[in-house]
Amino acid sequence: MTKTDKKHFFSRLFSGIPVLGWLLGVLIAVLLERYLGEALAEILGLPKIPVLFGFVIMLKKPALIPGSLAFVILIYILPIWIIARLSAPATNAAAGFLVRRSVGLSAMIHLALLYACIHIWSDISAYRVLALKLTLISIMLTLSLNVVNGYMGEFSCSHPGFMALGAYVCSIFTVGPFINDRFFDQAILPLFLAPYIFPVALIFGGLAAAAGALFVAIPSFRTRGDYLAIISLAFMFIVKSLIENLEFVGGPRGLGGQPDLASLPTVFIWTVLCVWIINNFVRSTLGKAMNAVRDDELAAAAMTVNTRNTKMTAFLFAAFWAGVAGGLFAHVLRYVNPGTFGVQNLAEVLAMVYFGGLNSVYGSIVGAVSLNLLGEALRPLELFKWIIIPLLLILVMIFRPKGLVAFKEFDPRRVLQPKLKSE
Amino acid sequence: MVFFFQNMINALQWGSFYALIALGYSMVYSILMLFNFAHGDIFMVGAYIGFGVSTGLIALTATGVIALPNWLILVLTILFSMFLTSLVGMLVERIGYRPLREAPRASAAITGLMIGIILETGNLALLGARRVSFPSLIETTTYNLGGVYITNKKIMIVVVSLAIMLALDQFIRRSKWGMAIRAMAFDYLVVPLMGISINTIARMTFAIGSALAAVAGILFGMAYPVLDPYMGILFGWKAFVAAILGGRGSIMGACLAGFLLGFIEIFVAMIFPSTLRDLIAYSIIMLILTFRPHGFFGEPYSAQLRL
Amino acid sequence: MSLLQVEKMTHYFGGLKAVYNYNLQIDPGQIKGLIGPNGAGKSTIFNLITGIYKPTEGDIRLEGKSIVGYKPHQVAAMGLGRTFQNMQLWRHMTVLEHVKMARYSKLRYGLCGAFFGTAKRRREEAESDEKAHYFLNMFGVDPLADQNIFNLPYGAQRRVEMARAMATEPKVLFLDEPTAGMNPEELGRMVATIRQVHEELGLAIFLIEHRLRVVMELCESIQTLVFGEIIAEGTPEEIRSNPKVIDAYLGKDVVE
Repeated sequence: MTKTDKKHFFSRLFSGIPVLGWLLGVLIAVLLERYLGEALAEILGLPKIPVLFGFVIMLKKPALIPGSLAFVILIYILPIWIIARLSAPATNAAAGFLVRRSVGLSAMIHLALLYACIHIWSDISAYRVLALKLTLISIMLTLSLNVVNGYMGEFSCSHPGFMALGAYVCSIFTVGPFINDRFFDQAILPLFLAPYIFPVALIFGGLAAAAGALFVAIPSFRTRGDYLAIISLAFMFIVKSLIENLEFVGGPRGLGGQPDLASLPTVFIWTVLCVWIINNFVRSTLGKAMNAVRDDELAAAAMTVNTRNTKMTAFLFAAFWAGVAGGLFAHVLRYVNPGTFGVQNLAEVLAMVYFGGLNSVYGSIVGAVSLNLLGEALRPLELFKWIIIPLLLILVMIFRPKGLVAFKEFDPRRVLQPKLKSE
Repeated sequence: MVFFFQNMINALQWGSFYALIALGYSMVYSILMLFNFAHGDIFMVGAYIGFGVSTGLIALTATGVIALPNWLILVLTILFSMFLTSLVGMLVERIGYRPLREAPRASAAITGLMIGIILETGNLALLGARRVSFPSLIETTTYNLGGVYITNKKIMIVVVSLAIMLALDQFIRRSKWGMAIRAMAFDYLVVPLMGISINTIARMTFAIGSALAAVAGILFGMAYPVLDPYMGILFGWKAFVAAILGGRGSIMGACLAGFLLGFIEIFVAMIFPSTLRDLIAYSIIMLILTFRPHGFFGEPYSAQLRL
Repeated sequence: MSLLQVEKMTHYFGGLKAVYNYNLQIDPGQIKGLIGPNGAGKSTIFNLITGIYKPTEGDIRLEGKSIVGYKPHQVAAMGLGRTFQNMQLWRHMTVLEHVKMARYSKLRYGLCGAFFGTAKRRREEAESDEKAHYFLNMFGVDPLADQNIFNLPYGAQRRVEMARAMATEPKVLFLDEPTAGMNPEELGRMVATIRQVHEELGLAIFLIEHRLRVVMELCESIQTLVFGEIIAEGTPEEIRSNPKVIDAYLGKDVVE
């Protein structure tokens, strides 16, 4: 009896608040942190604002655990909850009004709010900006790999290869004309033009990756599953080895000096674009044809589904976004080397996909964000981080073999609509 | 020509490592339909266990507790390490694979990857980042056969690998357990009907595979005496490629593909600059798979991922 | 001119003769049956006509146009809808998604529409929704539209599979043992449904059946296949009294 009561109590605490309400709460919280954070940290005896919800500081200096917890509760948890709860009637009404007017408009407003939140949050330290950018790129990578491994049901291992293609091709288009670099000639275009060329460079990077994906997509007509996994793995090693042998992009030393083009808003916009387009695709009948091919290829063909087109589209599409993510990655770190795109990277991306959940846009976002966050939060543990995270993943695989949020459709309308109190 | 034979010998040795590791992959893959991505790291663990056992035995001999000749130390090292590593293999199966038997195969592959990372990190945490060097158990003697130099170690490595592969082949063909293994590779569900539990077979598969990896680890340590915790990664992935290339359910296929990979790598390095080794080796593999999409000896079995 | 015409179709698997000198003619609105013992090659004939295998010899013409060598999805889009003996359903899809998927070749919005959610896509998807519900209704499974297919009882799954085949808007519907594994009550409903579809839409149907009762009840004309060859063709009465058929087939199975 008490248990159900408790559950009821908790669900009452959190139910009936629309996404708009939560975003408003977060916005207030990050503003609080920005203006009162320093003072509060000093009162609580913390050296500075805890950079990642107190995780890092708690692991580094156990004596500061109470202070950090208090900080997190006072700055994040309480304000977010109070604002979200109190504003629920208003935000519900607003969300309802917006959704009725236009889902697109509503989505824009939500995204703008979200961006405001992360912008203000990350303004406090350069570390936060970097962590956020890398997390956003991870979302793109995970989601695009999910298209092949989840929606298509193949076990593709070539994602680091696509990412590398994107990173290098994109870098060539920005480093080449704009930077006076020892690998290339004099800069031929002024640097202020670079931000305009950057999107084009990213698209070229994506297209290069998609072209590379042909080497995996064409064999997929004849073979599936395990042998395709090997082909894709071989492709990854080939790309890595190829780049190591190309002197004009620096070979094994890597390629540096990318102009600072991947600002937080740029990465954010590309990520949103990626999520939006992929989500559109997988919800269309053309995208669901991937599921049909995965679950029964013969039946798909008998129901007029062009299976070859479907496979081709899935691989090329996924590779395109991996390439774009690679291009962004290169410009966030402003240096890439072929070693980055190896087995380690593959293990990370695969882990994010399967941890978050197959066949699910939610899953990929959850997987990418939580594993990135965990990776950053456990950084002070150094070596043991690499025991804890794998252990956690094994547990998730044992208890939820399909991942945390698998096979769930991401319907923007349902996300944005007002939440009613009664379940 | 001499140069060619010299490389031939090197390729045989190099291929032996791949073949031994690929066997472990191939057994798990054929019988349980799983990618055991932890296997490369089990090879690493086997090498370290071999290092520990042999160092221990050498220390015992040196302090005069027991007097063992070097060849006996080597034999004991191999046997002990096979035993200990097979325990590790069974543990990996118990923790990482048995709970996932009904799960999608890809999930089990992820667990394998993660166990591999844990093994690497665990090793790093236990022994630190320094590399250890494998004790030299037998004196290197070099024979000159018409200009081709062969060391006794190379001969030993190739002979031991081949002997073990042959033994395994006989075991699988002749013994009752071997029959159960073949039955399971043929049809996963029929084995319980025969009164043999899947768990027993699975455990045995992992044990045998890990024991072979331990042998590979020790032999590798003798040829290239520097061990480091990440040595299993590259070998593991390449042997994995060889195992699948060999074809599902084909022990000999895995061996052959392992040797083939060794030959490709050595001969590519002989003709081209060695930086091109991976590029060309993998391109050849991709070509092979494009034209023989089911490996050398595999049946045209479209292995789909159970989602 | 007949709707579907198969002439002298022969197929070998390796050296094994699976189908030999097979002829078929289906006129608009006709229900034809194909019976035969297990392993006679009935499903092979379906697979040959629907493009899964390419016949070694012979010609298949749909409305006078040869369809040999086309891919299965092209053949399906040209108007040969089919069901499968063991119901090849898609594990992770809902009932509605199953039927909508069969409208794949009718969609014109292309990748651009799929990526950017254009107005054209919304219009076509809505249209496809409407059609899908229409077919689900026809087979009485519309209330289950949002269920995952594997939550449905066996009989309902069969109906969804037929609705899916119908959603390709076939000119000839191929049914591969539509009543396999059904209990008598489900069987009765299925026979009624097939008849209803045939009568309402005037659809030509080609049917493989194991249960003679069903074939005899539904079909105007029946072919009997033994070891890849037709040994008899005619009306149910003729088949019933044909000594060769009785010998090869009914002799053992007369109870059904």
